[in-house]
Amino acid sequence: MQFTTSKRLVALAFGAMVIAGACGNSSATSAPTSSATAAPTAGATAGASQVAGISGSIIVSGSSTVEPISAGVAEALAAAKKGFKWTVTGPGTGDGFKTFCAGETDISDASRKIKDEEAKLCADKGIKYVELKIAFDGMSVLTSVKNTAVACLSFADLYALVGPESTGFAKWSDAASIAKALGSNTAFPDAPLSIIGPGEESGTYDSFVEIAFKAIATARKQDPKVTRPDYTASANDNAIIDGIAGSDTSLGWVGFAFAEENKDKVQEIKVAKDVNGTCVAPDAATIADGSYPLSRSLYLYVNTAKAKANPAISAYVDYYLTDGTISKVLETVPYVNLPAATLAATRDAWAAAK
Amino acid sequence: MSTIASSAGATQASVRAALTGKHRDTAGTVFQVALLASLLFSLAVLLVLVVDVLSKATPVFAERGVAFLTSPLSSNPAKAGVVQGIVGTAVLALIVAVVAIPIGLATAIYLEEYAGDTRFTRFVQVNIRNLAGVPSVVYGLLGLSVFVALANSLDGAGNGRNILAGGATLAVLVLPIVVITSIEALRAVPNSIREAGYGVGASQWEVIRKLILPSAMPGILTGVVLALSRALGETAPLVLAGAVLGSFSGLSLESLFSGSYTALPMIVYDWSRKPQEAFREDAAAAIVVLLAITLFANGIAILLRNRSEKAW
Repeated sequence: MQFTTSKRLVALAFGAMVIAGACGNSSATSAPTSSATAAPTAGATAGASQVAGISGSIIVSGSSTVEPISAGVAEALAAAKKGFKWTVTGPGTGDGFKTFCAGETDISDASRKIKDEEAKLCADKGIKYVELKIAFDGMSVLTSVKNTAVACLSFADLYALVGPESTGFAKWSDAASIAKALGSNTAFPDAPLSIIGPGEESGTYDSFVEIAFKAIATARKQDPKVTRPDYTASANDNAIIDGIAGSDTSLGWVGFAFAEENKDKVQEIKVAKDVNGTCVAPDAATIADGSYPLSRSLYLYVNTAKAKANPAISAYVDYYLTDGTISKVLETVPYVNLPAATLAATRDAWAAAK
Repeated sequence: MSTIASSAGATQASVRAALTGKHRDTAGTVFQVALLASLLFSLAVLLVLVVDVLSKATPVFAERGVAFLTSPLSSNPAKAGVVQGIVGTAVLALIVAVVAIPIGLATAIYLEEYAGDTRFTRFVQVNIRNLAGVPSVVYGLLGLSVFVALANSLDGAGNGRNILAGGATLAVLVLPIVVITSIEALRAVPNSIREAGYGVGASQWEVIRKLILPSAMPGILTGVVLALSRALGETAPLVLAGAVLGSFSGLSLESLFSGSYTALPMIVYDWSRKPQEAFREDAAAAIVVLLAITLFANGIAILLRNRSEKAW
């Protein structure tokens, strides 16, 4: 009696698992067909018959900023060429270079140039690569929509507020003495200063410090690679936006794309490169022509030895750099397109390397 | 003497007051209201969460319908779907069940039925309880250094970050929960059952198989469900054990040993950090799918539990 009951139970439990597995299975087989009819460009038809396709797979990792572009290009290529398999992940520029230089990935996305120590890591492992510029991104300096006291900040002002010497400043006005010493006439409000930004592991942190602080910090004999340590750091850009929106006199910075998507919550502060210089607001045009001072380039780093051995990699990069590919992806992903001439220069660099 | 007399008098008074309905038990009322307030607070938090998620998810399901469930990951929020996450989560659950349930149950039976109550077994039990409280990211590190490396050496092509390594990591993560709940369930079986079994000449193996396990089954199943639900919701260990935080072609099932895989919580985490507002709605919809799967798993377990429940 007992025996049969328990046996039936085990069978039932196992049956449930099989059903659960089978459910997964059936949705698996139905997926490519339905996605192909519902969304022809959505890609992901790996495993289908190889019609005029590329057989092979690529692994792309690196910057979370570049990830949507690389993924979009891969989807579009997979939709056109059967048999093309891809994986695109976005753990961050630094983590991306670590795996790239260990030979685990084929292409590394980066929101800054490779650092000397990372280049050395690649050289030690004998990994050769080519650097390809593929788009522009800006960094927006943000405050709450309720903050009307500040409309424009120069690099000197930003340094006075967020740089290594500002540690402990609890009010905007605390930064006035450093700003004045740097020659700035900006009036700082007597209001609480809460700073929210990306953490040190982020490429956006590195770029911001490099572009805005490096020259001033070096001249003032400070560490040129850091901000003040006492600010709220987050790895999630949407959390940074929420933090900035949550305090009336906040200050923070994120990638331009995140600021543009949240204009109802936060306002962008104009930025001037020079002390008391021209204030420029970030938009597609000012970022692309470099007149917005906090703009940076986005890169692909391609492992050239792997690209020669695996036709899928060259096909992917070729397609990436074709006129219209990136701009098509950028219709749904908010970054800034390269001018045609710059893209052509990137193509030349790629042609020379492959 | 006098205190006893007076306290007896007080009891008498309060009983009389309660019986005649004249006494107001202020402290009791306050306590009851506080309990009710606690209940309402946790309910309100849950309600806010569910309403928030559902209100964001509704437009996605209304617009996309089944396509959201059958589309692969995409950088375009209007096309992105969760099929790879559903498959990945289902396969991970299967691996966890196949690995963690037998090992966990066997450990529990040995500790509770065979091993005596020695200093050693008590030491082992305390440690298992401690393991259940270790942060999940620590298990992720274990998965990275043990299972991913193991899968790497098996595969030979450097594709160790596969779904088997991820599933094994999650299985180890929930193993202590399975062991502890199974031990509690076995302990709850009345000793008279065992003695009755031995009394009619059954061996220890027969007593365990035919008497103790069936009667402990409801408790064991509850533990297994709790463990599976925990595994289905984990992100941190999977990030380390190689689940893709991004997108990829194909399905998790296609190449268990060499391919990329993801799970629903990973997709939720990934989408919530994207710039486009539309991805936040997609993330809410993915949460609804994950909730539905967890409820489904719980439902099956409750069904199994009710079938196996018996009164002695």
